[in-house]
Amino acid sequence: MRPVTPRGFRDVLFAEAAEREAVTRAITRVFKSWGYGPVETPVVEEYATLEAAVSRSLETDAFRLFDMDGALLALRPEMTVPIARLTASRLGGEPGPHRFRYVASVFRENASLRGQARQFTQAGVELVGAPGPGADAEIVALLLDTLVAAGLREFTVSVGSVAFLRAVIASARMDESWDTSVLQAAHGRDFVAIEALSRQQGVSAAVGDALRALSRLRGGPEALVAAGQHARACGCEESLDELLGTYEVLDACGLTERITVDFSMMRSFDYYTGLVLEVFSPGLGVAIGGGGRYDRVLAEFDAAAPAAGFALGIERIMIALANQSATPSVPPLDAVVGGTRPAEVFAVAAQLRAAGWRAQVAHGCAGEALVTEAARTGALMAVEVDGPSAYALDRNGVRLGELPAPLEGFAAPLPDDERCWQ
Amino acid sequence: MTAPVGTNVAAGRLRMAIPKGSLFADSVKLLGAAGADVRVLADPDRQLTVTTDDFEFIIARPTDIPVYVAHGVVDIAFAGKDVLLEADLDVVELLDLGFGACRFVVAEPQEAGRSIEEIYRHLGVIRVATKYPRIVERHFAQRGLQVEIIKLHGNIELAPLIGLADQIVDITATGRTLSENHLRVVDEVLSSTARLVANPASMRTQDARMTQWTDRIAAVLPVMFGEDGR
Repeated sequence: MRPVTPRGFRDVLFAEAAEREAVTRAITRVFKSWGYGPVETPVVEEYATLEAAVSRSLETDAFRLFDMDGALLALRPEMTVPIARLTASRLGGEPGPHRFRYVASVFRENASLRGQARQFTQAGVELVGAPGPGADAEIVALLLDTLVAAGLREFTVSVGSVAFLRAVIASARMDESWDTSVLQAAHGRDFVAIEALSRQQGVSAAVGDALRALSRLRGGPEALVAAGQHARACGCEESLDELLGTYEVLDACGLTERITVDFSMMRSFDYYTGLVLEVFSPGLGVAIGGGGRYDRVLAEFDAAAPAAGFALGIERIMIALANQSATPSVPPLDAVVGGTRPAEVFAVAAQLRAAGWRAQVAHGCAGEALVTEAARTGALMAVEVDGPSAYALDRNGVRLGELPAPLEGFAAPLPDDERCWQ
Repeated sequence: MTAPVGTNVAAGRLRMAIPKGSLFADSVKLLGAAGADVRVLADPDRQLTVTTDDFEFIIARPTDIPVYVAHGVVDIAFAGKDVLLEADLDVVELLDLGFGACRFVVAEPQEAGRSIEEIYRHLGVIRVATKYPRIVERHFAQRGLQVEIIKLHGNIELAPLIGLADQIVDITATGRTLSENHLRVVDEVLSSTARLVANPASMRTQDARMTQWTDRIAAVLPVMFGEDGR
């Protein structure tokens, strides 16, 4: 048989994997510098756990499986709920706030032939136990830092709040099915349906106006002002307090340049209660990440605590970087070390590594064969070990010159180095 | 959710998809009224893309349009609500354009040998032929009826006549094709009109242009298709 990967799953090979590693490392460095600690959770969770927090999208998206005991499990579709579960089940008694970071694969079921992957890698943070604009601003500021560190030259972060729409809906005092319909339409980005619902009998002029304005409430501080006017007319001004506070902090820090206030956005997960975030990069048709505040999720696990966070899709960041010609260049191998006696080869390679080289060993390879191996692995230098001496080779496998002994402090080659075999 | 990934054109002009077929003429007319240069669309010949100062137009199969928009290779587009429902992808619905009105109906032979009720009572399932399996599945699930859906690509009216299906779900504007084939409408599934749709990311990264054209189109709608936009 000729084996294949299951639909929607794929292997990542050397060059791509190295570039992903470089980006992930840059992102992790920022998370770490803000004091976020690493956690790992199981790849599977009880389906019921996920269902308690995310009901809407789970039905179609969850990758479900039964174990031998007949328990219904699901592969984690994201990391927010598993970390909330971890906080509730493992850190229940400990005072917060807790700052978590992760880089993890997540899984979503997708119908075939839609060109969609079923496994993604997300890098993200969760700040559990800290409420209000200060914590929200921390999340946004950390997100901005992270995007810059990832190497993105162009991006915008949409910042909104679901509290506004929820408050407008509540102020309408319509029946529950109307409320649900409006929320559903907002989640489905269906402004035609919202317009129709806004004109339904019994909807006050103020609420109708606010709903119809929703798709346009986007931009700089003026969008906040406009939303404020609608909120005042609907008698729910306080629903904007948190976002105003957050924006004020960010503005005072000079961080609003790449931020767009955006009330037309509803994240696809339905657990958000306040701040919502989405990151966009020009030329990419989907958000590269997002997040927000989800103050009720932990209450579902009997450990009520305010919480907020974000996640970035590594695959999408890599596409955005490629679009912007900003893919990190990963340095090649410095040397392939060969020779006829393995012990000598190991000894020289060890000295080179101690001097900071990336050195690979090629047993039994010398002369031309060693140069061929250096070419195959993309190494900058071919080093032949012969007794106590080591030599750099040229492209024909001829010795260029002896390497100094000891090798301590001997610098690794640069790509245009004359010692290189090319 | 899980939106697919794609890349669209660089900034400069919006990429807009216009459906071939029944929505084409009204879409172009509306765009023209909104102030776009649509001369290139008068006779696109066999070209699949034509470019003006403001737009790169993609002339596309109607059912492919939601795919283009969701993948972000098209910023903004005209699409029928029927096609959007069937595709079930992540796009922003901005405006109900009113034109291209049609109804999705359930139809069956006028003189069925056995009534549908009888078939259902004895076999517990109705066979339904359609081009729109997702919409049909949702409709019958809401009605609590068990159906076997047979997906066909055209001439749906033929299915009950040759015994392939008990009922069909298809689009009709006037109902004429149905009655010509001795079918009668027994239930309404939904009604559809053309929509202006957009890619969610384009709404953020090309905000000014997207809003400008949405507003222009919204402004001429009542003039073109009556006060209520229909």
